[in-house]
Amino acid sequence: MNTTPDKTADEEQAVWNQAHDRLRDFLNAFALGDHAQVSLLTLKLLDQARELHRQGPSLDPVSLVMALVQKKTDEWFSSNLEMRDQPASRLFSSGCVALLLSRAFRAAPETFLTSPLPEKLKETMHQKLLVTGPDLKISSMTPRHIDYGPMLGLAKRTWHRWNSREIIIALLFWAAVYFVFYWWLSEAL
Amino acid sequence: MSNSFSETAAATRRTLFTGGSILLTATGFALLLHSYSGQSLFWPDYIVIALFPLIFGQIAIGFLLALFGFWDWVRGGDPFHLMRRPWREREDTIPLAATAIVIPVFNEEVERVSQGIENMWNSLTKTGQIGHFDFYLCSDSNDPDHWIEEECAWLYLCQKLDAFGKIFYRKRRHPINTKSGNIADFCRRWGKRYRYMIILDADSVMSGPTMVRLVRAMEANPEVGILQTQPSMVLGQSLFRRVLQFSNAVYGRIFAQGCSSVQMSSGSYWGHNAVIRIAPFIEHCDLPILPVPDPRRRHVLSHDTVEAALMQRAGYEVWVAYDEPGTYEEGPPNMSDMLKRDQRWCAGNLQHFWFLFARGIEMGNRLQIWIGLMAYLCSPIWLTFLVAGSLGAYDRARFLAFSAGPEDLGASQHPEAPFLFITTMVFLFLPRLLGIASSLPQAKRFGGLFRLLVSVAVETVVSVLTAPVLMLFHTFFVLQAVLGWQIKWTTQNRADTGLSIFHCLKLFGWQSILGIAGQFLAWSYLGLNSFWLTPIFIAWLFAPLTAWVTSWRSLGLGLRAWGFFLIPEEANPPAELDGLVINDGEEQSQTPASLWPQALLCPYVQAVHLSMVRHRSSSHSGIIPAPSLAKLSQRLIQQGPAALERKEILRLLWNTETVFWLHGELWSRPDALLHSSWRALQSDSGKNSLLRQYLLVE
Repeated sequence: MNTTPDKTADEEQAVWNQAHDRLRDFLNAFALGDHAQVSLLTLKLLDQARELHRQGPSLDPVSLVMALVQKKTDEWFSSNLEMRDQPASRLFSSGCVALLLSRAFRAAPETFLTSPLPEKLKETMHQKLLVTGPDLKISSMTPRHIDYGPMLGLAKRTWHRWNSREIIIALLFWAAVYFVFYWWLSEAL
Repeated sequence: MSNSFSETAAATRRTLFTGGSILLTATGFALLLHSYSGQSLFWPDYIVIALFPLIFGQIAIGFLLALFGFWDWVRGGDPFHLMRRPWREREDTIPLAATAIVIPVFNEEVERVSQGIENMWNSLTKTGQIGHFDFYLCSDSNDPDHWIEEECAWLYLCQKLDAFGKIFYRKRRHPINTKSGNIADFCRRWGKRYRYMIILDADSVMSGPTMVRLVRAMEANPEVGILQTQPSMVLGQSLFRRVLQFSNAVYGRIFAQGCSSVQMSSGSYWGHNAVIRIAPFIEHCDLPILPVPDPRRRHVLSHDTVEAALMQRAGYEVWVAYDEPGTYEEGPPNMSDMLKRDQRWCAGNLQHFWFLFARGIEMGNRLQIWIGLMAYLCSPIWLTFLVAGSLGAYDRARFLAFSAGPEDLGASQHPEAPFLFITTMVFLFLPRLLGIASSLPQAKRFGGLFRLLVSVAVETVVSVLTAPVLMLFHTFFVLQAVLGWQIKWTTQNRADTGLSIFHCLKLFGWQSILGIAGQFLAWSYLGLNSFWLTPIFIAWLFAPLTAWVTSWRSLGLGLRAWGFFLIPEEANPPAELDGLVINDGEEQSQTPASLWPQALLCPYVQAVHLSMVRHRSSSHSGIIPAPSLAKLSQRLIQQGPAALERKEILRLLWNTETVFWLHGELWSRPDALLHSSWRALQSDSGKNSLLRQYLLVE
């Protein structure tokens, strides 16, 4: 995302405020136990983003700061989980699940995105893998033949002979006959 | 007891039952014909005469089942029953086999389902046999919020109970063949890993000792394919549900006992709260396709009865363990929800007609299919009977008015007519008296004798008021099924939320008009003779009011506080039911926030979702978002979550790479390029309800 080069100071401040709020919300989403750590991280990453922005002023602060935090997150997960050459989505989801299940976000919030986790927590993170189902043991389950008996023959013959249009025409015909007959009996005679 | 004794007993009982049903029906029919003797017959009388055996036969069958059940109760249980065989003496020594507890869900209340699993897990842990059991939550939910919540709830359970590798979650992408398809899917994937599966509904709960005992019963009796329990209806709060569970507790048992006594080893299967031997189930019980021309109607809707029939066709026994404690379910909370359920059941039961004459089906199953068919067919028959009876009475009155001869005053004035009426009333109400008699020894657990009797009286009034209303609806459902209108399976509402008066007027108001018109016409043309029909017209007239009042949670709870409509499970609440009443009426008035957007925003919710569906990812092109989802993704970003249809959301959530891409886009786009709703959701992502309720719970 590019920002226009001739922004006023107020506009500039507004977009940085926006970047700050966005970053803070993103970090809050990790539910770190240490709120001060969130504030520290926010400020630290914002500083780094400002530095990058000075080198490339056309970049949008929100996109910049979020790209920065995403990169940091990937690096941190990669180093703690020792997962190399994995697609970003896999690294991120595995990292978050491990973080969640090991409760590292509560046990060592100060390390989040800044330093390696304590070895014990790292080990716990490695162990935490989701098993949504055991290994498959495929069986073949198919319906067995069933003889529906005499009703099937009867029904099949009926379906082959009749259709709804014919039934409606027949009903209308007999209704007409009935009413003519009724009128003749009750009125005409 | 040896098997030959058991077979002799079964043959004797079935002969007695079938013979008794035919004899009683024939006696009633003879009385009816006698009452018509010596008088002119009009064309409606022929309809009455033709339909009478069908209706009276059903009443006679119910009466006989109650008699059999009562006899069984009096002598302290059936000595030939599977659960009373010698294996019980060495029960504790019988080793268990691998058993899967399979819970198919479809947009059910997730909190309630996970609490049920937790309770059952704890109960099984106490037995020391948890190692033999695995849980499978098999989801067909097509509501994105339910799907995402189920995933989080599954993780919560695994974490809380340290049950990774013991509780599994499976979400089908294409929910073919609804619940039976879901169970078949489990069988195909993991069936070979287990010898038994216990099938539960989303509202079912079973205690650990009961599950252990059922598995041991199966182990000790290899000839048994299905062992069904008789679940108690529990947790009712609205008056309607409390009345249902009360009548189930008072009368249900002797009917179940009677059915079991007659059917014995060719018992019923109701689709839940039952243990099934998996190998023969896989081999013999996949549902056949119905031989109808319309491909959309070939799937068997109500699978349970057919599966029981197929299991028996394969040579295995099906038993109902009618007096096993520790097995529970919930009933519909109000009349409106019961009708929704009945609509499905009616369509399913009518399909069973095909199996009535199929070759290889046991007689006991045919009887079961017949009873199931007549449960709904009786309504149009009863309605036709009433209309024809009224027209016959009118013709007779008109004939008398114009006749100068000394004609008699019609069938109802014959001496046989009152006798037939009294016999019918006995057949209808004696089973109730037998039910009350069998409840008397534990009257204290029903709130004491006085409260038990008052509750029975009120329950009878509610039954009298609801039966004619159901008759009209069931007639409509039968027509609907016969004419081939598509029936959609919907989630059963299990929360006692109450109905609005407007909803009741909309759904039942036409019956009020029919009641007024019917009473007016009957009075005009039949005069005093119309008083026979008055209870029916009154029921129709008050249908909206009955539906509205009985749905009140406050009334149900108030009566409970006074000790009315109590059931034994409320006197001694079992631990397995702890915390299962999740929703109260007040909570329902607020529309809950949409949950699925957090699968795009909240890192944890997204990570859980991606981990669960990753192996099924469909994005292999390397282009993200997937070309088919590009427009959808842009619409989502620019117009917010509300801009997408349910099916579009599901498509999107199945594609892991697009979900991850959206996560990045939604967080990194400036406000100007995002729909305003995303900002609020971003602010909420650190404290969203999925985190609070499931993922961050210590």
